[in-house]
Amino acid sequence: MDTAPPREYTVNGAGLRSAPAVPLARALSRRHPPLLQRSIRYHRPRAPFCGVGFCTGCLVRVNGIPNVRACTYEPRSGDRIRTENAWPSSRFDLLGLLDVIFPHGIDTLHGFRRPRMVVPWYHRVVRQLAGYGKLPTPGPAATPPPGELVDRPVVIVGAGRTGRWVGEQLNARGVRALLLDRRAPTQPEPALEIRSRTTVAFLPPPAGTTGRRFRLVATQPGSSALMVRAESVVVASGGYDTSLLFPGNDRPGVLTADGTLALSGDHGAPPFTHAVVVGGGQRAAAMLDRFGEAVDAVVAPGAIEPQVTARATNLGVPLYPRTIIARANGHRRVRSVLLASRGRGASFEVPVDAVVLAHRRLPNNQLLFQAGARMSWRSIPGGYYPELDPAGRTSVPGLFAYGTVAGGAGAPADASTLAECVVTNAGPWPDPSPSIVEEMPNELDGYYREFLDRPRGRGKTIACACEDVLLEEVEEASRAGFRGIEVVKRYTSLGTGLCQGRYCLPDALLLLAILEGRTPPEVGYIRQRPPVVPVTLGALAELPEPAPESAA
Amino acid sequence: MNVPSRREYRTVIVGAGIVGLFTAYHLLRAGAGPVLVLDRGFLSSGASGRNGGGVRQQWETRATVRLAREAVAAYRRFGADFGYNIWFRQGGYLFLGGTDADMARLRKVNEVVRSEGLDARLLDPAGVIRIAPELNPTGIAGGAFLPTDGTLYPFPAVWGVYEAVRRLGGEVVLGLEARGVRTDAGRVVGVTTDAGEVTTGHVVNAAGGWSAEFAARAGLSVPNVASRHEILATEPLKPFLDPMIVRLGDGLYFSQTMRGEIVGGLSLPHPPGTEGGMPTSPEFLRAFARAMVGLVPALRHLGVLRAWSGFYDDTPDGLPVIGEDPRLPGFVQANGFGGHGFMLAPATTLRVARSVLGEPTDLDPALFSPGRFRTPGGPRPAEGLQLG
Ligand SMILES: Cc1cc2nc3c(=O)[nH]c(=O)nc-3n(C[C@H](O)[C@H](O)[C@H](O)COP(=O)(O)OP(=O)(O)OC[C@H]3O[C@@H](n4cnc5c(N)ncnc54)[C@H](O)[C@@H]3O)c2cc1C
Ligand code: FES
Repeated sequence: MDTAPPREYTVNGAGLRSAPAVPLARALSRRHPPLLQRSIRYHRPRAPFCGVGFCTGCLVRVNGIPNVRACTYEPRSGDRIRTENAWPSSRFDLLGLLDVIFPHGIDTLHGFRRPRMVVPWYHRVVRQLAGYGKLPTPGPAATPPPGELVDRPVVIVGAGRTGRWVGEQLNARGVRALLLDRRAPTQPEPALEIRSRTTVAFLPPPAGTTGRRFRLVATQPGSSALMVRAESVVVASGGYDTSLLFPGNDRPGVLTADGTLALSGDHGAPPFTHAVVVGGGQRAAAMLDRFGEAVDAVVAPGAIEPQVTARATNLGVPLYPRTIIARANGHRRVRSVLLASRGRGASFEVPVDAVVLAHRRLPNNQLLFQAGARMSWRSIPGGYYPELDPAGRTSVPGLFAYGTVAGGAGAPADASTLAECVVTNAGPWPDPSPSIVEEMPNELDGYYREFLDRPRGRGKTIACACEDVLLEEVEEASRAGFRGIEVVKRYTSLGTGLCQGRYCLPDALLLLAILEGRTPPEVGYIRQRPPVVPVTLGALAELPEPAPESAA
Repeated sequence: MNVPSRREYRTVIVGAGIVGLFTAYHLLRAGAGPVLVLDRGFLSSGASGRNGGGVRQQWETRATVRLAREAVAAYRRFGADFGYNIWFRQGGYLFLGGTDADMARLRKVNEVVRSEGLDARLLDPAGVIRIAPELNPTGIAGGAFLPTDGTLYPFPAVWGVYEAVRRLGGEVVLGLEARGVRTDAGRVVGVTTDAGEVTTGHVVNAAGGWSAEFAARAGLSVPNVASRHEILATEPLKPFLDPMIVRLGDGLYFSQTMRGEIVGGLSLPHPPGTEGGMPTSPEFLRAFARAMVGLVPALRHLGVLRAWSGFYDDTPDGLPVIGEDPRLPGFVQANGFGGHGFMLAPATTLRVARSVLGEPTDLDPALFSPGRFRTPGGPRPAEGLQLG
């Protein structure tokens, strides 16, 4: 690895070089996340937020191909990379005036209707503003890589710690599973068959009752598609760090714990010098362990656990439990945050250049929804989890869930039970019931109730960053009598952008529960339509076409 | 919450899709309340929230051209009338033909459309490429284009009519299922729901893909068949494509929305009926992607963002069913709209409302009446241009 020559490429015409296998966003982030993107409606400055290829914070154009994620794209020598959707540049964008002129947003639902003579003109202007990138203009068309068809008895989605445990347990029973993982490879695992940089995007409900009846569709770099047929699927897709609502919550420098790790790499410096870490649990503790030197404060919506307190005390980092993030100040990057302790405490300002969101990890449950597994709500942490039997069997025969996505820490002993069950496939498939249903309220639920009651002051609170939907718009939809997440989604277009609602729907659900006076499950599911990540038309066109599998 | 406020309504409409809501709107405008609209799902959960937003006036049947022309005028006024911006953009519909037979069909349609005073054009391959330069000319024998056709956003249209209905005193109850129809002396006297019975003299079957199911609950068998159609949206791009494009051979259609997404579909045979739900299939993704990459090669690198499906409510002759069912006085059909119910809704529902009120309509019974399927006779007229 170390001996490979560096990659040389250009970004907006300027020459750059970076080590191989370093994603572009990391290569570009020095002391701050790079400002690569302007938001879709108001042209607000945006920088990498999630770091894991799901949000709209880092889209660039690579060799004529738009909407490439800089946080996961590893540049190759000769690449021509440009920023898009900003004029003249993503740093100084004249269209950013829209953000200033419309402090309360633009009402595209009711506006632009009159005078009627002018409507076609509105259409022309608004249309020009839509979209992130321009039509692809790739060079000489390379022949599309053919799709690949793979047959395995068992597929494990996610080669993290828990996924590998299941793989090892299956190995011990003489079954070699295929593990798929969207990340770059970590340490070599000769005993396991792992395909890295492979994102499972689509898991339709199984067809038939026997044989290799699951068909997974996955994407790989270079836009090639993979179809895997399997008898059993184990979803061990883990979790992700979510967003938080506050004015200025989309400012460059507000980023998830996932994003911080992605921009720092395994051993590098973080993309900030003074950060507040949001969260009082395990994830916040991990952030302190790794980036403690650059952390100026730990702020938690609720209580702060002893593991965090101990670390913070060692580092001399002040703690703010039960505290509201009232605003992030700054424009092209965060300059400070305004905090206020809950229960109507006075607000105070802390100068920082980053806000690291480590307060809540939710399951990557999209594939379970797609496959039709029965899901139930857990108020802590505020997400949907599969209904499981003790062996990890979901309500869909042949489909298992394990680890974070299953709502457990994933004890090794459970991996062995699960593997045994996959192998023996004994007895009738159970009818699992909702696992633990806590009666405790969600910590963030009370938080948002207070947050909504507070005067918010200036600055937009972005409820959906991909589509630039404001919190006010969600409140208005609710006030106008549009109820339920499904309807509010369609009314405001929240959740219909590139991240497919992964970062906005969990908060929207909690908000609507408050606004509608119902429980989150009554407000709806946080589910998305397939695919989980965008899959190119070129890859889909090459999807293998297996003959129908005869029953085994 | 999901309980009607009264025990008795002049009309109960089953289905709060665009057809049910617009019918309620016309009835209330005529002063014919009280009206109850009920839907077992959420607002826009049916086809009205799952379609491609295409609006065209190019049809084989003259009567449909007229309805469509009227609907286009209504959608142009929609913002002013309903307070919601539906982004109705008249970028035209461009039909692509690949064979002589396709071109013969397009010529036939073109004659009908032109004779109705619309500026429809037949195009040679070069003319097609002039309108949509990104298309790969291979396999294109010619096309047909009408610049005043277009696309709209279905959701704000639903919101706008929904609010207008409520403003006019209509009641919309969501999350409530209609279980059946009560009759007395051979006519409708009430509707049974999950919240008990409601007395009414008129029931409108605006249940979309579930119209046959609801008709059966009223003891009526109808030839309507639900067919599942899949559709998808891509990542948004800066605008490059003005018209909706429809290819005759495989039914591929797509347009670029105001948001920049390419929204499109393709007809695949699926088993009929609503039992299988509304899943997405890898077969559809593959078939659509192949067709698209062949026709617009630059889009090979464009990501598919989300896919979904919905039900067409198909009839044997491809024409909708509008009017009182002769077998059950008081039971008014407003269904069978196939893949085109949204674009025609402002016009068709005006006729539905008239039927409810017992007024005559200008619709030819041989083309639109519920009774037409049972009149014996030779070959009957049908609408052949079912795509897009
Ligand atoms: C993929 C796709 C693409 C399309 N593209 C276009 C297009 O480009 N242009 C166009 O004009 N049209 C298009 N259509 C067709 C169009 O969407 C429909 O014709 C139109 O929306 C029908 O409206 P509706 O109100 O009749 O039905 P729906 O919107 O389906 O409403 C029917 C409602 O009835 C409710 N219901 C059913 N049974 C009961 C019951 N027993 N009790 C209570 N409620 C009940 C359902 O919940 C549903 O909400 C498309 C359709 C699909 C599926
Ligand atoms: S930061 Fe790259 S997609 Fe979110």
